[in-house]
Amino acid sequence: MKRVYWSVLILLFSCLFTVGCGKTTQPTVLRVAIPYSDNVLDPSTNYYINWLEEQTGFDIEPVTVRQSSGKEYLDALFSSDSDIDIVMFGEQFELTDVELTDYVDSGYIYKNSHGEYYYPNYGRKAVGDCGQVLWINSEWLTTLGLPTPSTTSELKEVLKAFKEKDPNGNGKKDEIPLIGCRDFYSSNPCELILNSFVYNDPYHNRKCRNAEGQEVYATDLTSFKDGILYIRDLYSEGLLDPRTFEYNHKAFCEIVNSSADVVGAFTTDSISDVLYQGNPEIMAKFIHVAPLTGPKGVRYALKVERKPDIGAIISERSSHKTEAETLLDLMLTKDASLIARYGEEGVDWEYSDGVDVSIYRTASTIVTKNYIWNTSQNKHLNGIGAMNVPDKYLRGVTWNGVDSDAEYIDARAQMSCAPYLTDSSSEAEYDRNLAQYVDSVIRDFIVGDREAENPSEWIKLNKDISIRSNN
Amino acid sequence: MYKKSRIKYILGAILASAIFLTGCGARQTIEVSTVGEEWMEEVGLNEEKSVDELYEAALKEDVLIIYTVSTRVTKTKEAFEAAYPGLCVEVRDLRSPDLIDAVIANFESGKGECDIVICNDCSGDFKDKLIDTAMVVPYLPQDIKEKMKPGHVGQYISFLDEAEMIYYNSDSFDKVPIKNIWELTDEKYKGRIYMPSPLRSFSTYAFVGSSTLHDDDFISSYEEYFGKSYDLDKTHTPSENFWLTVSPNMVFTNSSDEVMEALNDGSADFGIMVSSKMRYREVGYSFEPIYELNPFTGCRTTNAVMVATGAKNPNCARLFIRFLLGEADGKGEGYKPFCTQGTWSARVDVPDGNDVPQNAIDLIDADQDYLIKNKEKIREFWAECLKSH
Repeated sequence: MKRVYWSVLILLFSCLFTVGCGKTTQPTVLRVAIPYSDNVLDPSTNYYINWLEEQTGFDIEPVTVRQSSGKEYLDALFSSDSDIDIVMFGEQFELTDVELTDYVDSGYIYKNSHGEYYYPNYGRKAVGDCGQVLWINSEWLTTLGLPTPSTTSELKEVLKAFKEKDPNGNGKKDEIPLIGCRDFYSSNPCELILNSFVYNDPYHNRKCRNAEGQEVYATDLTSFKDGILYIRDLYSEGLLDPRTFEYNHKAFCEIVNSSADVVGAFTTDSISDVLYQGNPEIMAKFIHVAPLTGPKGVRYALKVERKPDIGAIISERSSHKTEAETLLDLMLTKDASLIARYGEEGVDWEYSDGVDVSIYRTASTIVTKNYIWNTSQNKHLNGIGAMNVPDKYLRGVTWNGVDSDAEYIDARAQMSCAPYLTDSSSEAEYDRNLAQYVDSVIRDFIVGDREAENPSEWIKLNKDISIRSNN
Repeated sequence: MYKKSRIKYILGAILASAIFLTGCGARQTIEVSTVGEEWMEEVGLNEEKSVDELYEAALKEDVLIIYTVSTRVTKTKEAFEAAYPGLCVEVRDLRSPDLIDAVIANFESGKGECDIVICNDCSGDFKDKLIDTAMVVPYLPQDIKEKMKPGHVGQYISFLDEAEMIYYNSDSFDKVPIKNIWELTDEKYKGRIYMPSPLRSFSTYAFVGSSTLHDDDFISSYEEYFGKSYDLDKTHTPSENFWLTVSPNMVFTNSSDEVMEALNDGSADFGIMVSSKMRYREVGYSFEPIYELNPFTGCRTTNAVMVATGAKNPNCARLFIRFLLGEADGKGEGYKPFCTQGTWSARVDVPDGNDVPQNAIDLIDADQDYLIKNKEKIREFWAECLKSH
């Protein structure tokens, strides 16, 4: 009996010991939702994920998200029992500030120890100071023997020729001289054209500073009306495509990238927002146009302040909030962010000795050896997740040598806009409701639903702006 | 089909040759060239085939992959795919140094992911790293070979001539503003001269590197311009002194595109860039070439088209090269995208794209062997120049 007792006791101790060991050696498992990307081969074997695991000692379990909308996914996630700790955003899978607020208000998002509800992503998108560039089909210009327009009157002549002279040579009148979409200001060519008449900044409620330094609404200036009348003429003559006010960004991109070669000009922030990379034929077709000079010599480039996107959130339901914070804080460090942006140090990039020229013509800070951004690779998450790449690296990177590299094309376009960035921009905070109202009136003026020549319409617009901005 | 075992054999042969040559202390290329010849023979690259036969064989092959430094080839691709339905071409657009690295990586991996290489061949790197190692081989149909200008068919096929030369901003100046190259050293041009970094651009490297062979010309032009005997620092050669004096006035760029854009938007008064950018004047870019300059305005360059050793689609590659060179009569669509202002035809029966013939321009030649031999010295000089910039 005594023997049995001792045997049971030893067995019990062994069990306890084993359980104790398990508790101390098993790493914390963090379940991280990562949107599917063609540019990331396999998150579970990804170099960057492995590096993060090594640094933190956590076991990162990537859960691939197939939904294309951040909101759609979060709605599904928070209405299920799923035990996701972190949700990462990037590429097309994004979450807006407004959407985030809804989830915060509903108590779904964890407020971290820094008092923030999300972890930023800075470095994934364009870094230049100009937020809108005009791109024109250079092959059509060559075919028609036309110069790149430098004024608004030249632009109109070029667009007319695009419409009437069959530059794509298919014998059909299928050319779209100028097109945009309704989703983003940067993709709306009307915004760019207005900057040849007055400083037009839709991100700051179209406020600008006058010669005396006072903030005024651009809509209250005669030159704004002149710009609208010019654009209305483009519209009525079929030079500005009506789909500009109908298409979403996806439909807009599809038509610009169409192999039918039907688009003459469009605007965007980064060229990669519209043209499909990996298609050098299309990339080679479009060249940037420096800001156009208006009839009174006005020539502005739209100045933007680059803000980080939402890179990641921690679910309030997570049982590993502290560990999730540790991971995301690490992702925001310089070392992690450089891997997240450029890959493995020493293999894909190295710090520059200053001999090479950067894409912004400064002494370079980073030399890329294998340029893997926006390619199918397994070194990083192609900009998905929290990230904070210092500007000195984003602007100081060397060109990868590919003519169709969007970063290089963007940098060149940015440099052509830089002389026309103005100091007269406003610091007014974007007012969504006001902006929606003004945008709709501008649209109405252009398409003829309101009489742009009628002074009372302008008086009403500016009166409404005044009332709405005071509320 | 090019087998992995075959690649291993070739790599082995190259390695053995390299070891052998290192031991000898002399460059001999015959052994490695033989490797290229063997592959050409294996796939029947030079066997006579009609266009129809090539097309039929090409239809059984995969997508043709071209590594190129010229975006103009995309127009040739479009015309080629229209002319030969069922054939597909993928263009990978790279800058010369990256293209060479990519071809080497492709060859060493044995993946055969490159069929045709189109590259500026003036710096010596192309010859040294790809031709002398037989990683690329020449191919030209007999009926086109007869029409090529002298000096364009040999170890490599030069299918288009260009030049790296000096341009001026035609909005700022209504006529050529300088007659002597030393005028560029004037302080008034500080920050107004744009040039691609010689360490990143083959054609610029060829120009600045080859200029070091012309010290006497730098001395005589110095004396003519300044009206005194050459009296610059003797620790540097006259050519080095010129570049050291002018480089503080320069803005270094990544490519000729940036130079052209700076000339057009008024940032630059002068630009040194590849002549093929002259085609952008047709779309309103405001710059003009300087054809006459004491002692010279630039350097002749050429573009080569070669077949990648181990190419998976040799028949399609042959058909494409025929097409690129304008077919037998030179009138085909493939060559037209290249026959623009700032280029000179490689064929006797196709007129130059440029109005002024190359021999009427003050150009020097790129001496590839000299550039290869003095590579380290030239690169060190420019690395220091760029670092102190």
